[in-house]
Amino acid sequence: MPITLKDIAKMVGVAESTVSRAINGKPGVGKETKQKILEIAKKYDFQPNKLAQGLAKQETHILALLIPGLSKGNYSSLVENIEYIAEKDGYQIILCNTQNDLKKEKKYLNLLQEKRVDGAVILGGEIADQHIVNTVLRGHKNIVLVNRLCEEILIPTILIDASYGAYLATEYLINLGFENIGLITAAKNDEYIESEKIKGYKKALKDNMIEYNNELIIKTDGSREAGYLAFTQLVNIDINPDSFFVTSDLLTLGLIESIKMGGFFIPQDYPVVTYGDTLINSIIEPELTRVVEPLEKAGKLAAEVLINLINDDQAKEEIKVLKPTLKIGKSTKY
Amino acid sequence: MASVTFENVTKRFGEVVAANDQNIEIKDKEFLVLVGPSGCGKSTDLRMIAGLEEISEGVIKIGDKVVNDIPPKDRDIAMVFQNYALYPHMNVYDNMAFGLKLRKFPKEEIERRVQEAAEILSIEPLLERKPKQLSGGQRQRVALGRAIVREPKVFLMDEPLSNLDAKLRVQMRTELSKLHDRLKTTVIYVTHDQTEAMTMGDRIVVLKDGYVQQVDEPLELYNHPNNMFVAGFIGSPAMNFLDAKIVKEGDDYYTEGFGAFKVKIPDQLKDKVKDYVNKRVVFGIRPENLTDAEITHDLDITDENSFEAEVEVVEPMGSEIYLYLAVDEHSMIARVDAESEAKVGDKIKLGVYTQKMHVFDNETEEALF
Ligand SMILES: Nc1ncnc2c1ncn2[C@@H]1O[C@H](COP(=O)(O)OP(=O)(O)OP(=O)(O)O)[C@@H](O)[C@H]1O
Ligand SMILES: [Mg+2]
Repeated sequence: MPITLKDIAKMVGVAESTVSRAINGKPGVGKETKQKILEIAKKYDFQPNKLAQGLAKQETHILALLIPGLSKGNYSSLVENIEYIAEKDGYQIILCNTQNDLKKEKKYLNLLQEKRVDGAVILGGEIADQHIVNTVLRGHKNIVLVNRLCEEILIPTILIDASYGAYLATEYLINLGFENIGLITAAKNDEYIESEKIKGYKKALKDNMIEYNNELIIKTDGSREAGYLAFTQLVNIDINPDSFFVTSDLLTLGLIESIKMGGFFIPQDYPVVTYGDTLINSIIEPELTRVVEPLEKAGKLAAEVLINLINDDQAKEEIKVLKPTLKIGKSTKY
Repeated sequence: MASVTFENVTKRFGEVVAANDQNIEIKDKEFLVLVGPSGCGKSTDLRMIAGLEEISEGVIKIGDKVVNDIPPKDRDIAMVFQNYALYPHMNVYDNMAFGLKLRKFPKEEIERRVQEAAEILSIEPLLERKPKQLSGGQRQRVALGRAIVREPKVFLMDEPLSNLDAKLRVQMRTELSKLHDRLKTTVIYVTHDQTEAMTMGDRIVVLKDGYVQQVDEPLELYNHPNNMFVAGFIGSPAMNFLDAKIVKEGDDYYTEGFGAFKVKIPDQLKDKVKDYVNKRVVFGIRPENLTDAEITHDLDITDENSFEAEVEVVEPMGSEIYLYLAVDEHSMIARVDAESEAKVGDKIKLGVYTQKMHVFDNETEEALF
């Protein structure tokens, strides 16, 4: 039987709390008493209980936030919301820009293995690579993925279902009576998220028994120029879409410039739905109907799940899938 | 198609030696099981093969190629764990395909691979379903499918069934074995469950404290364990170990249990104990190789292959009965036919199938036979 605080207290003839204070080096214990207590503790190889060990556990109250880039995507909103929750719970954030470089990502993850941070949120980047899997397999489980998939193991994950967002956009246009919906994507290199949006688009058509026309799907590099050219391309070869769903903001900007240059009106001639509640999308005229991702919720959840993992060894590992919504503007109906 | 070879592989984590000078040859297309108690280094071995863990000393080869310095993604392996992620918003097809999509495989190739994997796993009718519309076993198969579509040379599985309930686990064992027949690839499978190892492995590696104890086919391991650890680890209920010494009378040798029992060593094994006369040994006998002399038909009970024991507990198990027995200071379990009428408190005569007995060196715990 290992010796307990109580046993030592009895032997020395003091209160348990005194023993505890002495052992933890806290003030309020007489010099002699303290020495007596420490001697006994040493002699009987006193092991502080789990709770006490937990208190003494090396914690930094710092979370690492790995992001693939500052300009890309809507990371600012995610970051802000993660920080908001973290701060409320007494954590600070360090922002690690990995620039989508696996080597950099690995280096930043080492912060976790070296216990220089308590946990990490990894934002974006498509698929969890071996260094992430291995970090978890080595017992550093305080990792939450956001919009990143993992093949081998279950890592707590927050996903935004982009495919569903595209479905909503397409379905909305269908319900307005449009059938030849031009889909302008940034899927030139089969980017996964973009292919998810194409999937949602196709499913909405299928569910409404509209056959999809491959020529209406334009895969671009996502630039403003590409958006501009997409319109002329579609109109010139006489496919004649009756409406557009555009999967990113710069593309939308270009497309709308092109429509206006052609002397057409939005939404009278061409209704347009865009994806994302971004700054660019918000300044385009007319006010755009857009797919809005629940970034605030995703950020808060990511922080909550991570803090839960840090505080509770038994925390449930889970995958949460959040659904975008549609915000109706003035670009689809008049 | 690939073999996997360990040559003097050692792995240290600081003071802990998780793998100690291991030599293992895993043949192409073999189903090899790594088994041993918690912390013996099974997962570490797998992770070294996968390239997730550096090797401290020695060489690991996949095929003829030394892979010590080859990054995980170039090793042509796929890992399967108990704790996999099925994404609830994706259907079965996408749950198997997303890895290939993210690696930019051509669409037709992805389709071919997923179809093939679905066929092998008999989940073609489920491809459109979402994970929550699947049973536990079906989900497990989807996770396997995700590994199969990568068409790896070697599958590494770390206790993939340990999350399933007992019944499903038994069923999935059979399925995994069948799957291996169809895939015709090397599978390295980790478990701490000796039954799983015995029923699934073409061969089994028994590990303890980072040391390879024995590499053998299941029956060989069962019938001819190298040492007391393997003898005790494989088989349930475990082998009985009784302190004894070797005595010689005339030309015959016996294991003698300090007055409690005396069992003659079969003639063809005499040679193996002749240096142990009057020395301490451990007598090992599996519960099923003991019998209630009253109901024994296939063994001539004599003084040289039987002894008396007192019944302490009787545990009926259907077609057989486990008898918990005391013989002086020794206690042991016998697995006897349900015909036995032994009752608690009875003194019964126990017959020993001496051809099946084992004797271990008391010091080294190595088997003499
Ligand atoms: N990253 C690590 N750092 C330090 N020690 C480790 C590390 N990984 C494993 N070990 C130690 O190496 C030994 C072998 O561990 P390993 O996980 O391989 O065992 P195992 O046989 O898989 O056990 P289990 O059945 O519990 O999964 C253990 O003592 C373990 O504590
Ligand atoms: Mg393990």
